[in-house]
Amino acid sequence: MAITEKINNTTVPTFWEGEIPVRYVYTYGLAGEKFFRAVKDKGTFLGTRCEDCDITFVPPKIYCDRCFNKLDKYIDVGITGYVETFTITFHNMDGSEKKVPRVLAMIRIGDTDGGIIHYLDESIDYEQIAIGMPVKAVLKPKGQRKGSIEDIVGFKAV
Amino acid sequence: MGMRKVAIVGAGITKFVRRAQETGKELSWQASKMALDSCELTLDDVDMVTMGTAPDAFDGVHMKGEYLADGAGGIGKPYMRHFVGGGTGVFSPIHGWFHVASGMADICLVVAEEKMSSCHPHPQGAFLTIFDHTTEQPLMPTLIWIFALEMNRYMETYGISKADIARVSVKNKHNAMDHPAAQIPQEITVEDVLNSETLCWPVNRLDISPASDGAAAIVLASERVARRITDKPVWIDGIGFSIDTAYWATRDLAYPRYVETAARMAYDMAGIKEPHKEIHIAEPYDPFDYKELHHMEGLQLCKRGEAARLTADGVTARDGNMPICPSGGALGVGNPIAATGLMKIIEIFLQLRGEAGKRQVPGDPRCGLAQAWGDLMQMGTVVVMRK
Repeated sequence: MAITEKINNTTVPTFWEGEIPVRYVYTYGLAGEKFFRAVKDKGTFLGTRCEDCDITFVPPKIYCDRCFNKLDKYIDVGITGYVETFTITFHNMDGSEKKVPRVLAMIRIGDTDGGIIHYLDESIDYEQIAIGMPVKAVLKPKGQRKGSIEDIVGFKAV
Repeated sequence: MGMRKVAIVGAGITKFVRRAQETGKELSWQASKMALDSCELTLDDVDMVTMGTAPDAFDGVHMKGEYLADGAGGIGKPYMRHFVGGGTGVFSPIHGWFHVASGMADICLVVAEEKMSSCHPHPQGAFLTIFDHTTEQPLMPTLIWIFALEMNRYMETYGISKADIARVSVKNKHNAMDHPAAQIPQEITVEDVLNSETLCWPVNRLDISPASDGAAAIVLASERVARRITDKPVWIDGIGFSIDTAYWATRDLAYPRYVETAARMAYDMAGIKEPHKEIHIAEPYDPFDYKELHHMEGLQLCKRGEAARLTADGVTARDGNMPICPSGGALGVGNPIAATGLMKIIEIFLQLRGEAGKRQVPGDPRCGLAQAWGDLMQMGTVVVMRK
């Protein structure tokens, strides 16, 4: 039987409200910790490379997921790359309209096989955005970085 | 049944800890890599991968099976996650067994992972919603409730005291002193257990296993391949699993019927008629100390209400006639849910191969059993292994 009336009164026997009372404390992981320390302290991105599979992972991994090699050599891959693909978001998570649409892109970093999902700089000209466009990460000033993905303000065209 | 024989040929396990720096993927890789290295195989040799991991709410990652896939070696392979609550870890080899016994895979990597430390303030918040949302959740139950109710019913039915039950905790934490992956190995006394904080009467703090992070992995192989890989394959001769109703208030809490049903399925398959004589060594699930006793009875390893006396008499000690949880169990090694069950499988594997080191039970055991249990005290999973 479908319930057709609108739920306004949640105290009648038909309904009651609930929640799962948990929050989370995630660890960066062994490779994640190296990556975000490099962002925070050195303003650069790190990757790890599997020579056997010819793959460079960005963000880095401690293992190659193709061959299970242990990867423990971290290489500086820089903070420039190009737009692999992008989208323009017009709505917030609750369905309300954004005041300013934002451009979300997948950025391929340098000549690696890895990528970072992030926003393009708000000042970017929509007409200018294209797949293949070269971009560079804009980081917060060093003193404001906390070692999080939000230390990256976004990517701007170069 | 037209099924192929399946052997365990390799195993790996991370240390069980309160909070691992590693991500769940990284823990999975560490255990998987160790398991493959232990039998000198590479990921290329693996046909299929199964992943056992309990609620997404623990790690705080929805679709955790997919998230963990690359750490478990699942990329580009037939890969599937299984999840039957706390019974998951012993279901893991069963899931892998199907792949190999059916002839679909010659080598299957079986991985189990849990990262419970992500969940704050405690995984109890996630456990809340395993209860019925209308009749039970509004009472704000914790998981310990159901164990307290069950333990009390069990004690009353068979005239067992808290001290009788505390001996299990003392034994298992002692056994864990020799386990390199153990989180809380301890030398404690029955008095220590009885004097520890009462959390939910009759359950005290030292009656309970901890929340843990960890991963474990094993390698399964078909008979033909197993004999090429190792001189000491350990055969999975019986599997069983069974579920009871989540209307748990309608059940007999003094006796785990679902464990009996699962055990009988596994015993039938393994040709075991008298489990208490034919099973030389067992790793029943012991997230709470009384559960080891409860499960021994459900597994037909002793008569109902008799497990406490066997424990008091030392029969279940590592050098007793029927060693129970020689690893140290969930109470001593730790309890990263799915990984715990697979840790128990690994313990029997090592014991039957004579490779358990300081934990090795005397008497050359030839047949062992691991069991886990889960969901709302309703899921039983059993694996019988022989060398």
